[in-house]
Amino acid sequence: MTDALALAGLTKTFGAKTAVDNLTLGVRAGELYALLGPNGAGKTTTLRMVAGLLKPDAGAISVFGTDALADSAAAKRLIAWAPDEPMLYDRLNPLEYLEFVAGLWGVDAKTARAKAEELLKWLGLWENRAERCEGFSRGMKQKTALAGALIHDPRLLILDEPLTGLDAAVSRQVKDLLQQRVRDGATVILTTHILEVAERMADRIGIIQSGRLVAEGTLDELRARTGEAGGTLEDIFLELTAPEDAAA
Amino acid sequence: MIGRPGSTVWLLGHELRLAWRGWGRRRGRFRNPVFGLILSIAFPILMTLGVGVPAGLALRGMEIAPSPVLSAMAALAVAGLFTLMLSQTLASAVDALYERGDLDLLFSSPLTPRAVMTVRFLAVAANVFWVFGYFIAGPIAMIALLGHPAWLAALVVLFAVALAAAGAGLLLAAALFRVLGPKRTRTFAQVLAALIGAAFFLVAQARNILGRGGSQTAWEQVMRLARDPHVQVPGLDWPLRAALGQPLPLLVAVALGAGVFWIANLILGPRFAADASAAAGAGRGVIRARGPAGPFAEGAFASTLRKELRLLARDPALITQVLLRVLYILPVGFLLLRRAGEGQALLLPGGAAGLALLAGQVAGSLAWITVSAEDAPDLIASAPASISLVRRGKMAAASLPLAVLLAPFVLPLLVLAPRVGVAAVVGCAATTTATCLINIWWQRPAKRSDFRTRHRASWFVTWTEFTISLLLSGATGLFAAGFFWWALLPAVVAALALLALRRSDEKIAQALRAAS
Repeated sequence: MTDALALAGLTKTFGAKTAVDNLTLGVRAGELYALLGPNGAGKTTTLRMVAGLLKPDAGAISVFGTDALADSAAAKRLIAWAPDEPMLYDRLNPLEYLEFVAGLWGVDAKTARAKAEELLKWLGLWENRAERCEGFSRGMKQKTALAGALIHDPRLLILDEPLTGLDAAVSRQVKDLLQQRVRDGATVILTTHILEVAERMADRIGIIQSGRLVAEGTLDELRARTGEAGGTLEDIFLELTAPEDAAA
Repeated sequence: MIGRPGSTVWLLGHELRLAWRGWGRRRGRFRNPVFGLILSIAFPILMTLGVGVPAGLALRGMEIAPSPVLSAMAALAVAGLFTLMLSQTLASAVDALYERGDLDLLFSSPLTPRAVMTVRFLAVAANVFWVFGYFIAGPIAMIALLGHPAWLAALVVLFAVALAAAGAGLLLAAALFRVLGPKRTRTFAQVLAALIGAAFFLVAQARNILGRGGSQTAWEQVMRLARDPHVQVPGLDWPLRAALGQPLPLLVAVALGAGVFWIANLILGPRFAADASAAAGAGRGVIRARGPAGPFAEGAFASTLRKELRLLARDPALITQVLLRVLYILPVGFLLLRRAGEGQALLLPGGAAGLALLAGQVAGSLAWITVSAEDAPDLIASAPASISLVRRGKMAAASLPLAVLLAPFVLPLLVLAPRVGVAAVVGCAATTTATCLINIWWQRPAKRSDFRTRHRASWFVTWTEFTISLLLSGATGLFAAGFFWWALLPAVVAALALLALRRSDEKIAQALRAAS
């Protein structure tokens, strides 16, 4: 079966700093994959390259078998990218925002309208559909951005820190939504610093540090690798990402 | 730092230090900070040498008597200064309410709200004094040095006017706050400040706009009145007398300025602090935005166009700033139509050229808003839509409001003076397209709030926009005057310059990545 995402030898440098260093990983179709790493490990840079926002210096990106570097538009059609800071327009209301996003992804106007209504109702934003986003709380903004990410039914959903700053109720709603998408056959890749979320939700976990993949697998596979039988993901993560001198 | 920690003087020192660093930061925008410093100092030195020295030498030994005409000119200058300063202080006062910055910290300290606000108000006055003093202090100092030491009083008058404007601006802001409430005050005050700033231009151009039969401009009428011995305006000569250093008028000017400032401070000191808290508490609130009630727009072009038009229409402060440029189109447009109606064909080509030039400038502003000030560039970059389609949507959004604005002038012109009308249409379209393209090729990520300072971000774009618009407007004028072949020359130069400025999508993307 074709991987939803396959990265091979992906490299990106900013001046003298290598943000992503010869990274190779694969995300299977229909799984929820958590990409973890300490601050500055290269998670966001990796995902921005997959979303077509950054050009890698070397390597290959394949999205459901489509070469994302050779045919970026085709790959983008399959992807939705939701960064930690919602990409919204303060002076548009959610319905207008979804109209714009649907236009960018070439969704037929009639379908988009119906889908927008469905998403806003599902996310509890239908009553706020005529209110400008500038008055929204962080959670409402995040949900609006998520609706934008889902309006074109992406096969691969990439979320950078989707739960940052959300209260418990909205956080639960977002987690439920992501799991529902996976049940419906979509693939979800997310980064998070809340390791409990990755531990409970992810089918597989990739841990990167200094732009390199240091471990990958299910939670049990990671436990086996570190010898932390019954250990939490936090224990495993800290052991795998500990500086070399500290580990020694 | 001067003063006892926690005292008013100490706090004033703190404000001045922040202002100095803010100025330093602006200097730091230049690649070479030393160059920035030299450039900042060069202008007042040039003013001193270029204006101050010749004026000082010319006035040396000359006794300046406050004649009616001079008095009227001085009174008008002071009124103009006050109006311009008021527009700035009103904007600063509103910022003080909403852009809280360190106000929370200061109000939570043991300092009294009155001390905090007195210092903040003084800073507003000092800032507005500095803006104007930067231009005129050098020449006045030179005139004083070369024989008229009493003229230094002009700087004292300037500060008194700044104090009065600060007081009036703060009182006006507080009154708006009472009447309109915290949610609407900001927008209304920003619009009002911009309009006050443009008021003098409109007054001066009233004849062109209204088309009164009389041949006197507002200025000439004032001068005529000033010379008329039957018309005596009591106290009209006092501003001039104060600026020339006569003790009593100077004392009155200072007392007036300080008085208005003191009254504002007395009335508003503690209340302003409460208003600032109310402004913070009010937040943005729920703002309803109608639509899309009907079907969604289809495709990237239509949805981008619709989105940009919505965003433009919902930003009154920004629209006001853009419309200020449009204000300059109005007199030209009215003049053009009247001349066409009167059959004065000689003046028409110049008017058509002016219209094309101003259309380009306004289109450049709108294109900057739609292209560079995009709120969610990553959203567009991560979409599969063709970027050229999105850009076309943005260009259309920048051009449409302008077309609506110009249509009432250009369409009748097509009937009254067809050749000039065609020239105006083609010229406006050419300058609009050119400035839009420059803004696309040389876009730089920015926030909408940076609109007023957008020229600082890229002098290159500003100058190329202006130069190419100038060439195209020249071509428009020549075409309208019937010199078709001569019109080709500036048009071809502009086209070649535009071709030289063209950047590929890849280069634009590279520049954007480097800038972000």
